[in-house]
Amino acid sequence: MMQDLAKRSRSITSLRDFLEMLGDAGQAITWSDRVMPEPDVRNIAVAASRDANGAPAILFDNIAGYPGKRTAVGVHGSWDNIALLLGRPKGTTIRELFFEIAGRWGDAAAQISTVPEGQAPVHECRIESGINLYDVLPVYRINEYDGGFYLGKASVASRDPEDPDNFGKQNVGIYRLQLQGPDSFTLMTIPAHDMGRQILAAERTGLPLKIAVMLGNHPGLAVFAATPIGYEESEYSYASAMMGAPIRLTTSGNGIDILADSEIVIEAEMVLGERVVEGPFGEFPGSYSGVRKAPIFKVTAISHRKNPIFENIYIGRGWTEHDTLIGLHTSAPIYAQLRQNFPEVTAVNALYQHGLTGIVSVKNRMAGFAKTVALRALSTPHGVMYLKNLIMVDADVDPFDLNQVMWALSTRTRADDIIVLPNMPAVPIDPSAVVPGKGHRLIIDATSYLPPDPVGEAHLVTPPTGPDIDELSKKIRAMQLGAAQ
Amino acid sequence: MSQTVCPRCTTSGAVDDYQGKEDGKVVWTIHRCPTCCFSWRDSEPASAIGLGIRSADFAVDAANLDRYPKILQQ
Repeated sequence: MMQDLAKRSRSITSLRDFLEMLGDAGQAITWSDRVMPEPDVRNIAVAASRDANGAPAILFDNIAGYPGKRTAVGVHGSWDNIALLLGRPKGTTIRELFFEIAGRWGDAAAQISTVPEGQAPVHECRIESGINLYDVLPVYRINEYDGGFYLGKASVASRDPEDPDNFGKQNVGIYRLQLQGPDSFTLMTIPAHDMGRQILAAERTGLPLKIAVMLGNHPGLAVFAATPIGYEESEYSYASAMMGAPIRLTTSGNGIDILADSEIVIEAEMVLGERVVEGPFGEFPGSYSGVRKAPIFKVTAISHRKNPIFENIYIGRGWTEHDTLIGLHTSAPIYAQLRQNFPEVTAVNALYQHGLTGIVSVKNRMAGFAKTVALRALSTPHGVMYLKNLIMVDADVDPFDLNQVMWALSTRTRADDIIVLPNMPAVPIDPSAVVPGKGHRLIIDATSYLPPDPVGEAHLVTPPTGPDIDELSKKIRAMQLGAAQ
Repeated sequence: MSQTVCPRCTTSGAVDDYQGKEDGKVVWTIHRCPTCCFSWRDSEPASAIGLGIRSADFAVDAANLDRYPKILQQ
């Protein structure tokens, strides 16, 4: 069974393959009752995401006004779906999934295969004139006060305008895109993100910035498009290495490497120097972003598969698909990057609001050592902007078990054993920032007291553990069930 | 210029971007305001698109569009 799942996971090349795998495991359903684009699609997506462990993907095929079109939400919307993506059974714990991903990090060599354009499923249908995005995309308003219709799960591929032949510097990232008419959209990013760097470079040099927006993608890429890896590292290579399987690429009409099996690819070019009103958008901290003026892109062509599936995401106040999509892929690179300097780090839980709060467990070598590790965490690529609250715990505390974390906070934290770093970089959409983009960081040292601290480690109670206790738990549960009957 | 009024910034002149059709019959229309860039579908609940019903917290000030900052400045 486990081997079958692992094999099946490695054979996935597309969203369709994964939806079929999820369906076979009872993790995907088709919603064929007629729904209105608003508010029904949002309502159903939110209702599903209440179950972070077991929510199924939902495929809508009867949306009013969009006859024949299909929309998928919640594809990465539960830990069970993430487990299946990794070839692990439903019910695998979050801790096990973390170590599964961390164990695969940079482990295998990337396998990239190239599919000729004429044979790539994504190019089955092609639109080069009379473009109207609404003809292809059954969009709906994700949150009630969003400024428009958003693509919330688009993987945007682009080349570095100053080094267009460099495969590694080609970027794939998830950025929110707001439709701005039949053939235009705005893209929201920040200077720290790879796309922000490329936009600034294009406008500084006057070089064109062409992009390919991939929708309905290989589920392994979607997680990496949202993962903070180095600027010169390829998201395609990471996705292939993690899946232990080849990633099939082809070329878009505007010369960018894209997934050969994506459902829809929109080719576009940035209008240099132009900004138009964008937002608000219900973002991952659970609040709306402000209204700003963002770069605008003109669509030059659309490719899509026959009968394409438009994949989107519900994002807002957690838990949502956003949290299960990127939570572990936010945690794993921080873990890998920390362990390069500090092999004492034993696990990282940055599941909360894209790592605005993170918990790091570390073998404490000396008094205060955990704080040193925390400061290193702040200088990881993701930590620079996102790690706002860090809770440091000992290696005997499982950071994925919040009861244990609360025990560490209760028993190993002194009120003066915290660090506040004022006026640090902050994610502009963090509603607690002093001003958007600038805020304070908090490090709570909830590790034990080691020399030369005079208190020393407490004499800990060691509760009985092991197979005997596991058996007793099962017996108690069985007796309880018996008593209820 | 169309008479369609934007429920967000209350200026007129919204354009029609798309009509959802079933069996040749229009079931809804997507409008876009060229002033504040708000897009909406005329079938949405009044709480989101009703002029005077929508939350004022999400209004856009059409007379002061300069107050909205441009991102990614050199």
